[in-house]
Amino acid sequence: MIRSTRRRSVVAAVALASGVSLLLAGCGGGSKATDVTTSKAASTDKPTGVANSTRVLNVWAGSMTPIVANFNPFSPNVLHAAMGPIYEPLFAFNKAGSGDPTPLLGESYEFSADGKQLTVKVKSGVTWSDGTPFTAKDVAYTYTYAFSKPSYIVSAEATDDTTVVVKFDSPQFTNEFSLLGTTFIIPEHIWKDVKDPAKFTNDDPIGTGPYILKKGSVSSQAYTVVANPQYRDAAQGKPAVKTVRYVGLDGNQNAEDLVKQGKIDWTGMFVPDVDAVTSLGIGYINTPQDPTTIYTCSNADEGCTGAQTDKAVRQALNVAIDRKQINDKAFKGLGGTISPTFALLGRDDKWITDDAWKESPQSADAAAAAKILEAAGYTKGSDGFYAKDGKTVSMTLKSPSGWTDYNQAAELVASEAKAAGIKITASTISEQEYFDARGSGKYELLMGGVVGTSVADPFQIYKDWFAGFSTTKVGTPLKASTWNFSRYSNPDVDAAVKAAASTNDEAKRKEQYAIVQKNIVDDLPYIPVIINATQTFFNQKDFSGWPTDDDLYQFPPSWGSVSSGVILANLVPLS
Amino acid sequence: MKYYGRRVAFYAVTLWAAVSLNFFIPRMLPGDPAQILLGKLARNGDVTPAVQKNVELILGGSHEPLWNQYWAYLDNIVHGNLGISVSKYPEPVWDLIKDALPWTLCLVGSATIIAFAIGIVGGAWIGWKRGSAWDHVIPFTAFLQSVPYFWLAILLVYFLGMKAGLAPISWGWDVQTYDHPEWTWASMVDVFQHAVLPALTIILSAVGGWLVGMRNMMVSTLAEDYIVTAEAKGLRPRRVLWVYAVRNAALPSFAGFAVALAFVVSGSLVMEQVFSYPGIGKLLITAVSNADYALMQGCSCSRRSPCSS
Repeated sequence: MIRSTRRRSVVAAVALASGVSLLLAGCGGGSKATDVTTSKAASTDKPTGVANSTRVLNVWAGSMTPIVANFNPFSPNVLHAAMGPIYEPLFAFNKAGSGDPTPLLGESYEFSADGKQLTVKVKSGVTWSDGTPFTAKDVAYTYTYAFSKPSYIVSAEATDDTTVVVKFDSPQFTNEFSLLGTTFIIPEHIWKDVKDPAKFTNDDPIGTGPYILKKGSVSSQAYTVVANPQYRDAAQGKPAVKTVRYVGLDGNQNAEDLVKQGKIDWTGMFVPDVDAVTSLGIGYINTPQDPTTIYTCSNADEGCTGAQTDKAVRQALNVAIDRKQINDKAFKGLGGTISPTFALLGRDDKWITDDAWKESPQSADAAAAAKILEAAGYTKGSDGFYAKDGKTVSMTLKSPSGWTDYNQAAELVASEAKAAGIKITASTISEQEYFDARGSGKYELLMGGVVGTSVADPFQIYKDWFAGFSTTKVGTPLKASTWNFSRYSNPDVDAAVKAAASTNDEAKRKEQYAIVQKNIVDDLPYIPVIINATQTFFNQKDFSGWPTDDDLYQFPPSWGSVSSGVILANLVPLS
Repeated sequence: MKYYGRRVAFYAVTLWAAVSLNFFIPRMLPGDPAQILLGKLARNGDVTPAVQKNVELILGGSHEPLWNQYWAYLDNIVHGNLGISVSKYPEPVWDLIKDALPWTLCLVGSATIIAFAIGIVGGAWIGWKRGSAWDHVIPFTAFLQSVPYFWLAILLVYFLGMKAGLAPISWGWDVQTYDHPEWTWASMVDVFQHAVLPALTIILSAVGGWLVGMRNMMVSTLAEDYIVTAEAKGLRPRRVLWVYAVRNAALPSFAGFAVALAFVVSGSLVMEQVFSYPGIGKLLITAVSNADYALMQGCSCSRRSPCSS
């Protein structure tokens, strides 16, 4: 028995070893067959003649692995390169500045006096990346495409090869950005044959943008786009960066490490310790854009419950918090100052109708908070907290676990509120519970973001976040395109928003904005905290042409829809 | 015959219970997939009305009673159809799993085997040399085992990846050189290099358990009478060690190894997240954070032999 063991153990060892090697051999099993030649050719980073134009630009735009091929601009899972680099809208609006939009496929546009008709001149001589000429018919087709057509469009017609006339059922001045700046123009000759646009992944996208998809380059980890030879500015050598690779990554730490190693050339993400990155010579720009607020379920009529349904409590909390401390501690001092009007300071200044509303208070004022509460009939109890009718002012402030900046901010708000006699319990919940709570309105206070407007005008926030017609009763999720999580509803605001929507006259709009601002500054359904940092890191050693503080020609982060295409076309490799 | 009938019935009930739990547990999680998806899209700026409409189209369709969904699910499972992922819509769940599973099986599977082999051989040696300086290895590896998994991974990334530059810190292969891994020598070496740090994480945190178990078994086995007999017979020490002692001392470890293999997939969750490794654990995290029921079911299915097939 024992004598025979040696041979057996050898057999067992061989079996084990072959098992391991089988497992190892299977490792490549996840790969898809691909033509070796193309993938090799593009990857050798050898400079050939012209500058360093074969240097590949590596981008992380926030995609997580696994990446799944999807270049359908109507899909929520569309990959970043489709939006801007491959497909283009008519104009590129600059979210970071207040100038005129940059013409892309369009040349000029004009609204009729009543706002019910839009006439757009488009460029001539443009071709799709498959060689088919682009005409105004494609634009008309896009605007009337059944799957994506907004309900307010009545008709869209190409009157000649370069003119499109779009008709609406009501004045649409305020949808200028949505129509011209986010509607990606699709080729009629391809899309007319698409049977089910919801399921269409568009693996071979035909666009007009500076880039086309490199065939067979999509893997679970990355995909590559190359210069579009049919691009309208190809004769001027644009885009000068010939190959751009988009990668997928699963964490900010991972991305930050790769930026430091020089393996990622462009990304937009939150990095608390900026100096550790910029000290390596990596370019950096911060363009605060989106407000961070405390959502309050403010409207008892719509079913909100809790102390925050009393305006006085919200006003007291508004003056009780120390915004500078919150910015310094929770947001590493990278956030911007917020205006209670929700107009972006520096960009939208002309829309702020009263100088008193320029900035939210930057330091805590417990005495002012006490005054507001006492005037509203609250009395301080022996426990140090205010109460009315035997009920202590006590609320829960929730934030999603893992969003560490929000979690810290919530803790700070709680301790600052305590100093002012308001009891706030900060707690964290899962992301799912958080989205559920804000959608259904079943919460008291939430740390939450407001989506900043993409044009130099706060209107979209007033309409989507403050208007009564943008909300629902507590328990019913909000409808698409509406974000009024606070359940705020005020007839004066609603009327002013509607009135502002029907005019293009700046003075008249300002009159209406004054009404909106007066109400929301007083009612505070969202208590403004700071403007979130939007950080962008870029490789300035190998590429030039990035947006800078002096020349902020487009919104800089790599995930920016449309803007990323404009920036890529503008970059120049340095030799 | 009666015996086999009982066994088959037992396994059938187990399978049904596993498959049903698989269906109901994800649905008990809070959160509406449509709200989650819109919330995430909005974090990155504008959500066009067309996309919003599409989200409702994709995710709004499941208002059927749970009971009907359950029957449809069972029917699909029987036909080997795992459904369509909503977080990666319209990609079929099976395609996602098919791409991810080999990476996890290879990496975590081989790392588990390597850790086991090191543990058995090392433990046998340390047990043989009991009382010597080798014993000090044990507390050290036990310490490594108690370090949280992700923390160990981050330390490895920082010191071996960033500071020393010894190994790549992300992905399963070098995306800057290859669009896809190829069946060439250079590409396979590249894939191997990318597996070094993730595998090291698993080996370092797993080896301690095998080591201490094997060493202790060796110590008690070496005290057995038949070892003394073997030594008294004048057998060479090497033969006593490997043929008489290890064979018996390793038995409990082999029993444990079978269980360890079953945890291969779940052990990959954190590691794949840290290294952006294209495996199944990462897929499961994506599924859970997006309330993607079909993908969750698929991922947890592939962790149980009955329906992975």
